[in-house]
Amino acid sequence: MRRLNIIAFVVLLLAVAGLFALSPRNTQKIQSAFLDFIAPFLKTGSALQTKITAIREGLKTLPQIEQENEQLRVELKELKATNQMLRDLGLENNKLRRALEYRERSIFKLVPARIIARDATTWWNTVKVDRGFADGVEPDMPVLTEDGLVGKTTTVAEHASTVLLIADENCKVASNVEGSREQGIVKGERTSTNALPEISLNFLSKTADLKPGQKVYTSGVGGVYPSGILIGVIKQFEVRALDGHATLVPAVDLTTIEDVFIVTGRK
Amino acid sequence: MMLFLFLFVATFVALVAQHFIPALPWLHEARVMLMPVVFFFGAISLPAWAMLALAFASGFMWDALNVQILDSNVEISLGWSIILYAALGAIMSGFRPLYQRGHGWEIHCLMSGPLVSVMVLAEYLMITFRRGEFLFPKIVWWRIGGAGLVAMMIAPLIYFILQTIALTFGWVAPRRRKVVQ
Repeated sequence: MRRLNIIAFVVLLLAVAGLFALSPRNTQKIQSAFLDFIAPFLKTGSALQTKITAIREGLKTLPQIEQENEQLRVELKELKATNQMLRDLGLENNKLRRALEYRERSIFKLVPARIIARDATTWWNTVKVDRGFADGVEPDMPVLTEDGLVGKTTTVAEHASTVLLIADENCKVASNVEGSREQGIVKGERTSTNALPEISLNFLSKTADLKPGQKVYTSGVGGVYPSGILIGVIKQFEVRALDGHATLVPAVDLTTIEDVFIVTGRK
Repeated sequence: MMLFLFLFVATFVALVAQHFIPALPWLHEARVMLMPVVFFFGAISLPAWAMLALAFASGFMWDALNVQILDSNVEISLGWSIILYAALGAIMSGFRPLYQRGHGWEIHCLMSGPLVSVMVLAEYLMITFRRGEFLFPKIVWWRIGGAGLVAMMIAPLIYFILQTIALTFGWVAPRRRKVVQ
């Protein structure tokens, strides 16, 4: 083995040992710094993806106007593009109006954030948003939409944060069930993904009489999540050896959300 | 050195790009692992010391972005992916003589699949040991195998792009195929 390779190997081992010895606080600092570094690239990628999608969707209408003459084709394309743009604007307007109304009537101080990247891993369920320390965001702040709970912040950088989604096994939320005295812990399943979110309500009593369609809300126990935020709806309830277990349908569609709110406090 | 710098940038670009490639619904939500495939090209084309440096960079970036810290506890230590990348990179590096003899793309393609699967499996095992409960439903194996399968499918394209750029700029020596007279 060449001397250079041995040196590189020893340096690698020392560097890894140094990283292993880091405290959680320092690890988080490194993560924040790297997230800050990569965030502009993710934002650019996100904008690029939006543009590509728009172009691809625009191209889909071309076969429909093949019969038309050249002038009409151009005109029609222009009109369609304008129409589509107006429709998109209308939809976005409605969405933003709903969000604004929710923000105004909410009892929480909400920081609006946009998802800039979804997860690139197989086993973790997180998203990156474009708000960080500079906007008053800190770790362990609840993230929600007008429809319900999304998750909580974990790593926070200056202008970006990582949000742990409720579909992740590590995201545990104390909760209660509408119309009953049942309380439990909602958590994601290990095999859950953003596209196939599987969340469940555990540690219910075996005698719980829960029906599909009952809503599950945060109970406020634990301090991270305020009480009364909708998490999901019961899909199925089963009694296991030691406890009752319910499968939930998340209130928020984690595959399509683009805008979220970060709860930074109470009004 | 230039090839190393180029692959370092390529690895970073692959990491960013990977965020915008959705999971594959037809493969039980298996992921397209772009960054490891780029890294494995580095492992086969770079000398061992540079491969280790690239393993450090790749593993560090992956962990810095994905390691979870909850309630002041690090779930899996920052740095474990470096070891994983270095170990798998060392296996790939063992095939470097074949790459130098002009059999690069076949080796890169054949090895990327199993190595990516091992990488995803190792991640799952780490999570399993940390969180408890040995859960191995079918879907887990689909995702592990699926990631490897997709890696094998994209490997020739990644190889072609990176090798062409490297050859164009003279960062790698042209292939030395044996000529039979």
